[in-house]
Amino acid sequence: MKSISSLENIYINGKFGNYEKKNENEIIKIKEIKNIFICQIVKFKNSFFDTKNLKIDNLNLPSNLKCTFNSSTRILWMGPENYLVTSNKLELLKDILREFNENDFAVTELSHSRTIIEIEGTNVNEVIKKGSPVNINDLKEGDCFNTIYHGIAITVDFLKDNPKKARIFSLRSFGQSFYHSITDSSLEYGYIVE
Amino acid sequence: MLHIKCPHCGLRSQNEFSYGGDATIKRPELNKEISDKDWDNFVYLRKSPRGKHLELWQHISGCRQWIKVERDTLTHEILKTLKANEEI
Repeated sequence: MKSISSLENIYINGKFGNYEKKNENEIIKIKEIKNIFICQIVKFKNSFFDTKNLKIDNLNLPSNLKCTFNSSTRILWMGPENYLVTSNKLELLKDILREFNENDFAVTELSHSRTIIEIEGTNVNEVIKKGSPVNINDLKEGDCFNTIYHGIAITVDFLKDNPKKARIFSLRSFGQSFYHSITDSSLEYGYIVE
Repeated sequence: MLHIKCPHCGLRSQNEFSYGGDATIKRPELNKEISDKDWDNFVYLRKSPRGKHLELWQHISGCRQWIKVERDTLTHEILKTLKANEEI
């Protein structure tokens, strides 16, 4: 299940839209991120456990609307005491379960249930603005937030500032619809599917 | 478009929120005798004020938390927002 992409039937490599006579950074680069480990960690409402010293892959848990990251793992803030961990280390779950005890935390493996699309280019903010009401002008590298994109619940994680690079998560079942929304919004700037 | 300041996420569009009703309603105490009329009032009876109103909203497309919002029903002005466990 994990290795079968939800975009398998619609994902076509190539250049599309209005890409001619534009420099490389202006064109949106679209890429699907597959085969990474995703896990949700939620602290129970009635738990008094102090999360300050907890670490995942040597990373502290992030504060509101922030993300902590290293080269392989990113921890996103999803809500109060609610985190989403993504990592290239597919065996990370064992370490997480050792650190987060089951009496205080609900740890759920979600690797199979998200579609992740990475978009890069100077016009990334414009593409997100087309479908989302959130004010993203001030957001930068290391910020993350939940919002909606043409009615689809998404999580945006800003990876890089210059040129802008963002990873956008949606539920796997909305993946195809979300991919079409992103590519439609990118037509104006031209996009490359890698 | 209305903008609501979520105490966890900051100023966001109303599109991200879902209305959850009157926030001043208190549930009758547990394990206490209560008349059918009082229970009926708790479940169904709501005021519909013209002016300031304390409401529950859920930031359903954001942090998914329930929050309290003081809103003017006449002007739609959002006067104050609080976490669900805070009192005005």
